Amino acid sequence: MLGPGVVWYVGISAFLFGIGALGVLIRRNPLIVLLSLEIMLNGANLALIAFSRAAGNGAGQIFALAVMAVAASEVCVGLGLVVALHRRRLALDVDELSELRG
Amino acid sequence: MTTGAWLCLFAPLAGTVLITLGGTRIPRAAAGWISTASVFVAFGGAVWSFFGLRAHGSQHGVVSTAWTWLEAGTFKAGLSVLVDPLSTMMMLIVSGVGGLIVLYSIGYMDGDDEERRYFAYMSLFVFSMLLLVEGGNLLILLAGWGLVGLSSYLLIGFWHEKPSAVAAAKKAFIMNAFGDATMALAFFVLIFHSRSLEFATSFATAGHLSSTAVNLVALGLLGGAAAKSAQIPLHTWLPDAMEGPTPVSALIHAATMVTAGVYLIARTHPIFEQARTVELVAAGMGALTLLVAGLVALVQTDIKRVIAYSTMSQIGYMFLGAGVGAYANGMFHLMTHAFFKALLFMAAGLIIHALAGEQDIRKMGGIGAKMPWTRWMFLVASLALVGIFPFAGFFSKDAIIAATLNIGWYGYVFFVVGLIGAFLTGLYTFRLYFIVFPGKPSAFVEEHHHDHHGLEGPWTMLVPVGVLTVLSAIGGWLQFGPYWHPLTNWLEPAARTLGVAEPTTTQEWVTSVLALALGLAGIGVAYAIYGVGRIAVPKLPAVQRALEHKLYFDEAYDAIFYKPAVALATQLYRVVEEPFVLAAGPDFGEATLDAAGVVRKLQTGMLRTYVFFLGTGMAIVAVVFLVVR
Repeated sequence: MLGPGVVWYVGISAFLFGIGALGVLIRRNPLIVLLSLEIMLNGANLALIAFSRAAGNGAGQIFALAVMAVAASEVCVGLGLVVALHRRRLALDVDELSELRG
Repeated sequence: MTTGAWLCLFAPLAGTVLITLGGTRIPRAAAGWISTASVFVAFGGAVWSFFGLRAHGSQHGVVSTAWTWLEAGTFKAGLSVLVDPLSTMMMLIVSGVGGLIVLYSIGYMDGDDEERRYFAYMSLFVFSMLLLVEGGNLLILLAGWGLVGLSSYLLIGFWHEKPSAVAAAKKAFIMNAFGDATMALAFFVLIFHSRSLEFATSFATAGHLSSTAVNLVALGLLGGAAAKSAQIPLHTWLPDAMEGPTPVSALIHAATMVTAGVYLIARTHPIFEQARTVELVAAGMGALTLLVAGLVALVQTDIKRVIAYSTMSQIGYMFLGAGVGAYANGMFHLMTHAFFKALLFMAAGLIIHALAGEQDIRKMGGIGAKMPWTRWMFLVASLALVGIFPFAGFFSKDAIIAATLNIGWYGYVFFVVGLIGAFLTGLYTFRLYFIVFPGKPSAFVEEHHHDHHGLEGPWTMLVPVGVLTVLSAIGGWLQFGPYWHPLTNWLEPAARTLGVAEPTTTQEWVTSVLALALGLAGIGVAYAIYGVGRIAVPKLPAVQRALEHKLYFDEAYDAIFYKPAVALATQLYRVVEEPFVLAAGPDFGEATLDAAGVVRKLQTGMLRTYVFFLGTGMAIVAVVFLVVR
């Protein structure tokens, strides 16, 4: 097999996932939170494809495709929410949106 | 041939659906005509399958399955219809007489507030009954059986603003549900042993069941038959069912419903023959019912109730016939009874219609002068009911009584009871006739009678009554015990009459002469008492009171089932409901609120807290997985 070994791919994937997780945890703008979520998903996808290639088994790639489909729909809903928030002139800050507090 | 049967089955259902979907978009009158047309189309289908079956050669019947209706493991039941001599005969009766009754309803129900609902129910009723008689396996038969119970409930309680009608409807439904339950239990036993409810398999299985099992099955079937056919001890719903409109009574009593029990015995006779004791119990039940109902009919004062008890009594004859093994005779009486009983109800309906809803015979005196045609038609029906030559009942009733002669000592008991029944039939029928028709119109009649544009009713009511008068007069000639019996031959492949239930020609003659003489004697006594008043009504206060209370069956059921149930419920309320449920309720609520107060703190509303919990959870899961490996 040509190219770098699977460890490199998994490393980058973990790096991407970490960046994403950090973004979700510390950023307050819902748009950026969504973006960070996407990065996390893509990190996971990269790991799936890397392992799939290493194991010579196509199942991982299929999983990755499914994740992409889910991510696309999730972005639709998420962006829709953000637009709706903006239309109602609400602050675009996830800490302000705490209606569900018990 | 099977196409005809399917058409016959689904035409009335289509009528119901059309009227229901049409709702207020169709005029009221149209609902009646749709319903009538649907039932007559069904009659066409029945005629089609009748001639189809004749031409087919094989008289053993053809099963046509539309699809597998129910499947569970190895058990399978299809939505299928069976076309055989027995089912075609029932199809013809149900749709033919039923069609006439629905046509009659158009005139009778004219101007009622909810005509559309009425006619939708009528079609549904006919459909249910057709499903019952055409069903190609016992499961479909049971489905029809239950649907008949449902539609009778809907129709008996049709005038839902009358509390008595609602009570009567509930009573009928509960009694019938009891019968449905015993039938279902019988079917469970059959399924347990043969994994099938097909007629042929079930009957074959019945042959090598243990006697306990086969007796249980037969008893269950008998319970269903007795409930549907209003035989003692499950008969109390039938007189109360008179709360429904008169054509409904005609439909329940003549064409559908109460005849279902007789059909069931004839249909499942191989099972009953394996359990001969139970079959004879059915015969005994019929004998008892025909006697008791005949006696109770003597003291009733409501015109429809007299006829209702007469129905019970006549169904008793059919049970007697089917129970001793003379299935064809039972079915023959079922057919002639359908003619003259429908006629009696419809003629009574004409009177009730003309008197603006009055049903008390003591007020009707002398109505014959106002309604001569009704009088003659009622007379024909009465003579047919009593079994006077040459009207229909003569041929069918005597055949049943004669069939009891050769089966053993109890046969003679049945024979005597049957003859007493013939006398009682003459007495109560002509008591009714002589009280209601002859003489000068009473003051009540003079005041309330109104004709219909110079006729005795609208033509939609008169035509069916006329047709049934002809059928009641000549319908019996189809079969004449000693000389010709096409009906017995026709039914033989489906329900062969047992050898012991075939009387000799001499026995037939003797029975006929005796029954005719006793029937005439009954008429004579009725004439002497009620016609000319030569004999006073015998004064037997105790007996009379007992009969007026219908021999205390209702009171007994009240004391045995209703009162203990109410007492038990009251006690349960006092001992269980009050101290536990009612007292503990608020405590449960508060405890739930307190517990929730602790947990709700977790819901901070902060996205980051949630993500943190998510991450922590995942980390814990990951650690656990690693450790466990």
